[in-house]
Amino acid sequence: MAIDMSQFYQVFFDESAEHLAAMEGLLLDLDIENPDPEQLNAIFRAAHSIKGSAGTFGFTDLAETTHILENLLDRIRKQELGLRAEMVDAFLESGDLLRDMLEAHQGRGEVDGAAVEAICARLRQLSTDMKVAAPAAVEDASLSAAVRVFDIQFVPTEVSAKGEGVKNLLAELRSLGELEILSQPDDGEHNVGYWQLRLTGDCGQEAFADQIDFVADNGAWRVLESRPAGEAEDGAFGFFDDSPGAPEEDAAYGFFAPLDVQAEQNPTAANTQDDGYGFFEPLPVAEKSGDVAVSAEEGDGYGFFEPLHATPSAQPVVAEEGDGFGFFEPLPDAAPLAPPSADAPIERIAEPAAPVAVVAPEKPAAEPRARAAKAASAAAAGGDSSIRVSVEKVDQLINLVGELVITQAMLLQTAAQMQENAPDRLVNGLAQLERNTRDLQESVMSIRMLPISFVFSRFPRVVRDLSGKLGKQVELKTSGETTELDKGLIERIADPLTHLIRNSLDHGIELPEKRIAAGKSPVGTITLKAYHQGGNIVIEVGDDGGGLPRNKILAKARERGLQVSDQMTDQEVFNLIFEAGFSTAEQVTDVSGRGVGMDVVRRNIQSMGGRVEIDSMLGVGTRMTVRLPLTLAILDGMSIAVGDQTYILPLSYVIESFQPQTGDIKTLSNQARVIQVRGEYLPVVALHEVFNIRPRAGDFTQGIMVVIDADGIKAALYVDALVGQHQVVIKSLEANYRRVQGISGATIMGDGHVALILDVSAIAGMAKSSVQKAG
Amino acid sequence: MEAMTQSGSAAGEEDLVASEYLTFTLGGEEYAIDILKVQEIRGYEPPTLIANAPAFIKGVINLRGTIVPIVDLRIKFNLGKIEYTPFTVVVILNVAGRVIGAVVDSVSDVISLTRSQIRPAPDFSATFDTKYILGLATVDSRMMIVTDIERLMTSADMELIDSAAA
Repeated sequence: MAIDMSQFYQVFFDESAEHLAAMEGLLLDLDIENPDPEQLNAIFRAAHSIKGSAGTFGFTDLAETTHILENLLDRIRKQELGLRAEMVDAFLESGDLLRDMLEAHQGRGEVDGAAVEAICARLRQLSTDMKVAAPAAVEDASLSAAVRVFDIQFVPTEVSAKGEGVKNLLAELRSLGELEILSQPDDGEHNVGYWQLRLTGDCGQEAFADQIDFVADNGAWRVLESRPAGEAEDGAFGFFDDSPGAPEEDAAYGFFAPLDVQAEQNPTAANTQDDGYGFFEPLPVAEKSGDVAVSAEEGDGYGFFEPLHATPSAQPVVAEEGDGFGFFEPLPDAAPLAPPSADAPIERIAEPAAPVAVVAPEKPAAEPRARAAKAASAAAAGGDSSIRVSVEKVDQLINLVGELVITQAMLLQTAAQMQENAPDRLVNGLAQLERNTRDLQESVMSIRMLPISFVFSRFPRVVRDLSGKLGKQVELKTSGETTELDKGLIERIADPLTHLIRNSLDHGIELPEKRIAAGKSPVGTITLKAYHQGGNIVIEVGDDGGGLPRNKILAKARERGLQVSDQMTDQEVFNLIFEAGFSTAEQVTDVSGRGVGMDVVRRNIQSMGGRVEIDSMLGVGTRMTVRLPLTLAILDGMSIAVGDQTYILPLSYVIESFQPQTGDIKTLSNQARVIQVRGEYLPVVALHEVFNIRPRAGDFTQGIMVVIDADGIKAALYVDALVGQHQVVIKSLEANYRRVQGISGATIMGDGHVALILDVSAIAGMAKSSVQKAG
Repeated sequence: MEAMTQSGSAAGEEDLVASEYLTFTLGGEEYAIDILKVQEIRGYEPPTLIANAPAFIKGVINLRGTIVPIVDLRIKFNLGKIEYTPFTVVVILNVAGRVIGAVVDSVSDVISLTRSQIRPAPDFSATFDTKYILGLATVDSRMMIVTDIERLMTSADMELIDSAAA
């Protein structure tokens, strides 16, 4: 096992996070009164997958917690225990803890050990509650409650043996009935090795089969039921009855002990043995060839499955194996299963091995089949429509396509310069190329797009938890979950949206009594809506709560010394809540009310190039509208010329542009310049002065004034000329250089040159400070 | 290569391990830098100016989709004639996870130097701080200034990186 598992950790973390998210979604959807068995199964599968891979990768804490979780789920799934609301709570909570553990394994944050203990205890408690109900359920199912005896053999994985896995298994088996340890490995081996147990109890094999499967090494386990003598036997047991014939209770073991000896010493003797021997004969052979490290006893456990794997890999021993199979030919019972001749090709040897498993004791045979079927269906479900690709690769692809677009633009330009001389076929080919590259660019960009449901899916939980805590009744309605936006934005929009929803819940929606008094339904509604509008994505968070109290906000603003007047429009008043430290909540709760948050929300959204607006009506509700660009990677820009340089001005900041007339520009104290635009005096920022470039035009009347509005600060930007409007791909300047004052990034223009993107907020800020200095 | 075998006979085991260096000229001086730090060599093309940057930072270019700053070492160290012709060479360096272009007079050679061939440089105060000089080497009676290009490019002097430039 020299494989370095750590290289797969990231995949495990990603997958487990997905499973947890799926589990949470399903839990929240679950109808407690009447749970859909399919949903329960899906939840169980999610937990099971996490457990399985956590075990594989050696994250024992994760594996053990999920194991307990899974036990309870399993019981609910099998309707041994009714689903109750507190279970869902416990599941959700354990889901949170599992997420914490995942984070901790990735080096972020820590796990609260006490909380883990508590939740494990709670889950155990919940499943022991079931114990009381279980016998009844078993009887209901008209299963015989008679004492059943199981012989259990398994070889634990190294991880579970060294951890608590085996110990837990033993404890669990003890809880099911009387447990006898027939053999166990030496202490020095840390429980790694062959275990043989006997369980006497009244439960079915399915009660513990999964747990053994979990602990055991890759299918190296087996359970045989040894029934008390005299009980009727079913057909499938036939083989074993006429096998060793006697040591009833220890049936399985009986086969193998003599078998190895026989196989090595006198193969032909097998012929004289009964059918049961014959079947297992090839196993030690396969084992010797394929898996030398395994002890002979372990081979028993491997028996059924091993040849399937070992045969194809162990080419040199084909002949030997063929011999092994040869034994069966004379056996009438085995004949149909065995290959027709001793020197059968490998494939054919592998084939009969499967039927062997079928006739073998029904339980172990059924298990791998069931597992295989399950794996197949899981693969079909998960592998149909998506692949996991690192963002880096996608970004590289986007870069390359960007290059292609530039090259194509260059070719087009060259062809245009040739004018009449350009052959028609070249011109047509270039037109085709242009179309194709544009399509290609669009499809490549769409790879980064994800549906917004990735963010929306977390909110039902937020609403559920918070409304419970606040004693409010709230329903969350979402629409437009399929609206797509850039992955980078998805990650960054989650926090601001969560905050807006918490705000709506805490401040917007009233308590049920208050709602009834106001003539509304006691259940408040929060609507979450996403849609495309132009080149933007719009996300609305609305509630039908009390609305924003204009007077209270104004009063509070005065209290805080903000400059406000009663003449302000509603919009302006509502925007006050985005001021840092502003809160109208009467009391500070742990949910909100400290006044931090809304300013952070606005800042976050603005840093993504978006805006947030508020509409509210007292007594009717509030609606927050967030507008975001579709992607962070592309920007609608206006290219402007200053001297011999080209800059990109983000279009969203541009209000208008005009050519100034002589005398339009006035000075303040002969230093700062202002210009009157629609009755408003705006500071003038001459870009060539800011950037120290020699301008093309001598005086202001030869250039263009662009009026910009950055977060409420307006300024007139003086440039030499407007060149055009483009969609530009944003590139980082800081990756290889450092931050430059007044520049937010760079892009590559159609001719392959770099153009810098202006940081409008910073430039507007410069204007403000220069006016203040002058004033 | 000849030089290596000559001095190699007298040196210890470790000193025999030769590394390859790219040599370039700045004015009358010849510099050698670790070739593993060199990504490529290309001709000079007019870069996009960066506002208010020091004079030796010529601006940024588009290197197959990456924005790469261009530093003119001739201006920085006041060496050679500052002119830009089709033969002006830019050495694209890959240092400290960044891609940086350096304008030099010309690229001369790739040479192998063993540790024993690199002699310590005497301490002197100059614009080119000795802390960026690994040593001096003589090949065919030419003196090479073996430079720690990574240290130089990431230093505060070059104003290429935020933390260092602050």
